[in-house]
Amino acid sequence: MSGEFGGNDGFYSSSDSYEDEPPLLEELGINFDHITQKTLAVLNPFKAAEHDMMQDTDLAGPLVFCLAFGGSLMLCGKLQFGYIYGIGVVGCMAMYFLLNMMSLTGVSVGCVVSVLGYCLLPMVILSSSAVLLSLKGMIGIVLTVLAVVWCSFSSSKLFVSALSMENQQPLVAYPCGLVYGVFALLTVF
Amino acid sequence: MADRGQSWPTQQDESAIIDLGDVNDRDDGSDYETDMSRGPTDGSGKGSLEEDVRKRLTDNVTQMVWNAGTQQAKRAWSLYGNIDILRPYFNVEPHEVRTRLLQSFLPRMPSSEKQRAYRELYGPLMVVFTLIALLLFQMKAAEHKVEEGTLMGTAFGVCFTYWWGTAALMWFLSYVCNAHITSIQLLSLLGYGLAGHCVVILLGTLIHTSHDHLFFYLLWAVFGGLSTLKMVGVILSRTHGKSQRLILSCTIAAIHLLFLLYLHFAYHQIVEDLSRVLDSDPVVKQPEVVNNVRTVSKDS
Repeated sequence: MSGEFGGNDGFYSSSDSYEDEPPLLEELGINFDHITQKTLAVLNPFKAAEHDMMQDTDLAGPLVFCLAFGGSLMLCGKLQFGYIYGIGVVGCMAMYFLLNMMSLTGVSVGCVVSVLGYCLLPMVILSSSAVLLSLKGMIGIVLTVLAVVWCSFSSSKLFVSALSMENQQPLVAYPCGLVYGVFALLTVF
Repeated sequence: MADRGQSWPTQQDESAIIDLGDVNDRDDGSDYETDMSRGPTDGSGKGSLEEDVRKRLTDNVTQMVWNAGTQQAKRAWSLYGNIDILRPYFNVEPHEVRTRLLQSFLPRMPSSEKQRAYRELYGPLMVVFTLIALLLFQMKAAEHKVEEGTLMGTAFGVCFTYWWGTAALMWFLSYVCNAHITSIQLLSLLGYGLAGHCVVILLGTLIHTSHDHLFFYLLWAVFGGLSTLKMVGVILSRTHGKSQRLILSCTIAAIHLLFLLYLHFAYHQIVEDLSRVLDSDPVVKQPEVVNNVRTVSKDS
């Protein structure tokens, strides 16, 4: 500890050490500006992503989105938090292995989890819309396909910008599409 | 270090007063000279010295063997466990994957010239994952409730067991029959061959013919047959000898085609029957189910 409360040591006084401490959110690594930037990058997949955007691998945003996904499925009468966790872990492990094989620089698990988690946002929107309309009709199928394409396009864009693999974006997008397709199966059926 | 246990109670027995100077020396287990000097205090003289030397030798040898074993294990892990050895097989371009997928449906007549067998794992791995996803989609489309975790594990297990198991079997047979094909080439060939299975399962799920298997058999013959012929052509071009060619081609054709039949009748058929039973109108549908079973048994 940098200081002791109520201590009378000469080095540190309690009020100075308390003010010198960084904010709690900063200590936890939760940066709302970064979270907002990454969320906007996902919502606008046609905007070019910055190379070092995903270097700051925070998991707060993905955690919120996963909980929101599970919560919106719960509103549809499906308690599938366990399946979201299981599919998420398997998907992240598979993408981690694949991207490490395909990229020259390699990728960390945190980066993979962060990207896949942030790009789950369109699936959250789809599952929220499932509360109001059925996804088994033609409109639902179109929305589902659109959401899967949106998720895979956004995630592949973030991955290739972080790993400098521009000419292989379709090869990265396809496995992402498979992962989000399984999430879509959870949402639709 | 081993002597501390022996000397400490001896010291205690001799005097109730603890000399702090000795305590510090006593706790330093890395000082072998200190350990050495405590030997004679036991009173057994040379005997305890020999025992001490023997124990220290044993410890040192054990430590050396452990270190040598650890280093060898680390070297073996860095050589064989390093997944970087698979990196070259994932170095592909999108147009190459697309071309190879299409070529997996275009068999070529075997000739004296060796047909190209690619050494690539990205495309086959994606095909296997697609097959797993399609099996899951097939289950979900039937609207019957099963435990999804078990279902996903079963789909993973079935697909990867087929891919790796068949590749291992074909590799063994290729070794016996002296075919010029490597294990990576077999994995790639079999993986791309599963593209036909993916097409059949996708079409079979989207176009649902509940009573008639004719459509499935048609797809099985066309897409399954084309991908099988492609694989057979590649293997025949790399094998010499009539009996060897016969063994390899029959084995791969039988396993490949039977696997598609298994996927249909083990998953889709059961799913169909279950969804039919769980649907309303059980009285009307029961005779058709019975007839269907009879037809299936006749066909098999």
